[in-house]
Amino acid sequence: VGKYILKRTLNSLLTVIIVFIAVFMLLRLMPLSGYFPQEMIKETDEATRMSYLRNQGLLDHPIVQLGRFVGNLFKGDLGRSLTVYPKVPITTLLAEKIPVTAAFGFSSMLLGIILGLSLGLLMVRFKDRWGDRLGTAYILIVRAVPNLIYLFFIQVWISLWFKLPMVFDKDIPSSWILPVICLALGSIAWYALWLRRFMVDEENRDYVKFALVKGLPKKQVWRRHVFKNAIIPLVIYLPSDLLFIISGSLVIESLYAIPGTGGLLTTAIKMQDNNLVQVIVLMYAILSVIGVFLGDLLVAAVDPRIKLTEEA
Amino acid sequence: MKRFLAILLAVVMVLGLVACQSTPAADQPEDPVASQQPEEVVDNAAQIVEEKEYEKTYKTYFSNSYASFNYYTTAYATVREIVANCIDGLVEPDIYGVYRASLAEDWDVNEDQTVWTFKIREGLKWVDHTGAETEYEVTAQDFVDGIRYIGDPQNDAYSLRVVRNLISGLYDYYWTLDDIDCGTITDQKREDVVASFDEMVGVKAIDKYTVEYTLESSAPYFLSLIESSMLMLPVEYDYAIALGDDFAVDNEHMLYCGAYYVSDFERDKAITLTANPHYWDAEHMTLETVEYQMIPDGTTSLEMFKRGELDYSTVEAEAYLSLQGTEWEDNLLPTSHSFSTNYLWLDFAGENPEFNIFINNQNFRNALLYSLNREAIASLREPVTPSRILRNTINAEGAIFDSNGVDYTDYSPLKEIKETDYNNPELAKQYMEAAIAELCDADGNIIGCEPTTVDYLPVCSFDVDGKLPVTICYVGTDDEAEIIMAQLFKAMIEESIGAEYIDFQIQAYSGWTYGTVADPLNYDIYFDSLSTGYADPSGILTRLTTDGAENVGCYDVPEFDALIEKALAASTFEERLQYFAEAEAYLCGNGFVIPFISSLRGYYMTYSVPYTEPLTLYGNVKYKGTLVMDEPLTYDEYATLKAAYEIERAEALAAAN
Repeated sequence: VGKYILKRTLNSLLTVIIVFIAVFMLLRLMPLSGYFPQEMIKETDEATRMSYLRNQGLLDHPIVQLGRFVGNLFKGDLGRSLTVYPKVPITTLLAEKIPVTAAFGFSSMLLGIILGLSLGLLMVRFKDRWGDRLGTAYILIVRAVPNLIYLFFIQVWISLWFKLPMVFDKDIPSSWILPVICLALGSIAWYALWLRRFMVDEENRDYVKFALVKGLPKKQVWRRHVFKNAIIPLVIYLPSDLLFIISGSLVIESLYAIPGTGGLLTTAIKMQDNNLVQVIVLMYAILSVIGVFLGDLLVAAVDPRIKLTEEA
Repeated sequence: MKRFLAILLAVVMVLGLVACQSTPAADQPEDPVASQQPEEVVDNAAQIVEEKEYEKTYKTYFSNSYASFNYYTTAYATVREIVANCIDGLVEPDIYGVYRASLAEDWDVNEDQTVWTFKIREGLKWVDHTGAETEYEVTAQDFVDGIRYIGDPQNDAYSLRVVRNLISGLYDYYWTLDDIDCGTITDQKREDVVASFDEMVGVKAIDKYTVEYTLESSAPYFLSLIESSMLMLPVEYDYAIALGDDFAVDNEHMLYCGAYYVSDFERDKAITLTANPHYWDAEHMTLETVEYQMIPDGTTSLEMFKRGELDYSTVEAEAYLSLQGTEWEDNLLPTSHSFSTNYLWLDFAGENPEFNIFINNQNFRNALLYSLNREAIASLREPVTPSRILRNTINAEGAIFDSNGVDYTDYSPLKEIKETDYNNPELAKQYMEAAIAELCDADGNIIGCEPTTVDYLPVCSFDVDGKLPVTICYVGTDDEAEIIMAQLFKAMIEESIGAEYIDFQIQAYSGWTYGTVADPLNYDIYFDSLSTGYADPSGILTRLTTDGAENVGCYDVPEFDALIEKALAASTFEERLQYFAEAEAYLCGNGFVIPFISSLRGYYMTYSVPYTEPLTLYGNVKYKGTLVMDEPLTYDEYATLKAAYEIERAEALAAAN
């Protein structure tokens, strides 16, 4: 197992390095005018703009810029934002934003798992009856209706009926309720849908029928065999959710004015904030490979059929 | 959903507007003061103000991120509003727009208005983000150091052009340093040039409390530049230099000398301004705190206003219609003015050969000019009285006055341009036919135009066949309001000029940036805006010359350039305005630039009493003196206050002149 972990770690590291260098170099192919917002281009002449670019080190050869970034990285300096938050240290930005997004992400993930699995169990327990139909209706609505419709409805009308704040305020605990629920709506549907499907599959397997024929109590078969086997394919995705927890939701953070990371990468790309883009990409790449890696470890831990050895 | 509904509603509006171009807009609210005598109006206004209860906190919002508070480098208008309330300049306008003392308690100017001397208030200290006085005193040197800071290219000052060209020696100082930085000059040391600032640059601390600016040319508008430009604000240099790039990245890394300081700052979320207890004009402060929160969506801000969670909200056109007949109808107030002008920018050097040949033809430009129904476009933003936001000139009316109080846009021949009704489809068609007669053969082939594929990538790519109709590629963002406006342009241009002559194609580019569309000329027509920044036409017009930074469409207008040269060399301000008016009239009248409406956006609702804060025509909103009521202002109250204010302002301006 140790050898496997070491090999995977090195592979992951190589993946991160390749992704990062590719993105870093691609960013340097962007036009120089992209570093300036429209107003700045209109207000400045070419020579002034070149002066600005030189001051920022953006006219240096990409290899020199890469070397400088890596050198600073080892000193714990991620650089400063160029265009989105000019001159603000990226470490400061991430330190401000990630905890907010992560708090909402963890809360909604927890809510999604608890309610999603509960709904999935309810749907299986009352298969083809009211519970199942209710759950199916919920899943259909969440997955088929454009999310802005129900998110907007929740923000305006639910907040009015239950006297809840329309936007997030860190000093008002009740202002967490609606954004967390909105963030969890999708994952509740996802967990419910797949748990129901996997449990129905397991229920129809021969070993379950055999166990029931042998006289094992249905509850015990469900708890020890059906649920446990059905949950395995879902577990593998849990670590990957880490990325989504950190990256946040553009729509919901915007609706509820949550000062998190949602949309940060999109904005940074749009405004050609290369310093910010490369740090976020690096962070996401690391989190992605860690997520996949942890997913493999986790599934091996819960599924005795999977071994993390060369032979396996 | 909101986007979908907005587009649906607006498309219906567009169709309605095009179909009923001559239909009068909806009725305006009745003027409640129409039958009152001036004395009665003033008394009624005073009574309204006296009867109200006032709050100590004003709750408002912002829509875009606050990148940092560095007022010398920011390109963001939202940042400037915070700074305008936290850093005082030398002078500021009073509620009537007359310049009064601020950090300077007095000022003097020489006869040709090239040397301006300001006497600074004594004993003022910079305060920190807790409101505590620091050891730093506000002195004349802080204003000198402000110029020193922006004069160093390494500090990346934004929008430096006007100030750099105006203050004597600053241009040479800046470019000498820049040349040293990029290795063009090798025989001078940077530190030597920096040390020569006081000799080179025309800003000096005559003594501890007297600062003197020497200008390259006469600048009667200098006070308005002080009001509008962040670059004229003071800085505690040692403090700023010690912080380096960290200067003003947040509220804890800057100092304050204005009416408020930023006591709380949560990036992209909330900002609280707290009254500066050591402020020189504390007796006129009415609000203890101003609370900003980020509300990125207009619908949310409006809903929060209705719930009493905000003291102000803008009301866009579609929201305005939805509030008609509700309890909020009486609280809808028209926004007052905007010096920003929306215009169509034309590409004179793009790759589309059909458009390129036609746009360089005067008759075709006239056809475009007369094909636009500006009132129909204005209705998208101002459904009640669209005529109040029409604008045919680039510089705004009511922004620039000569020493006799005559509005710059009333100088001939600009006045004629301003008053022309360009909505004339018949004339547009005649001009188009004249252009076709000059540019096409009898079979409708455009002379000298070969079929080709126009490469406007990454925006779009399309084929042109070198025949009529002329293909025009209009590029805009995918913002729904812009898409609707583009559809309206298409409808009215094709209808006026004739779809057999014009094929107006719309490209809504989702990755729209200036760098990918406008700068590389990947368009034939696009929509943009320009704003009159201070009380002189040069702010815009010198950027529109053939080699000007704003001439992104690459036209060649030697006649306009010559008039600008004459204006800059004029001996009196009136003569200067006359030449500028002729230049602007030339540019607009010949269709090189097509202004059509101001950037004014509809309506708003508020709890504050209008005309209680300084009238910052060129700068940003200041909350000093603002009265905030415990109930929203009604239209009748607003109309009474406005009428009284206009009477008082006329008297104040007359007294000031």
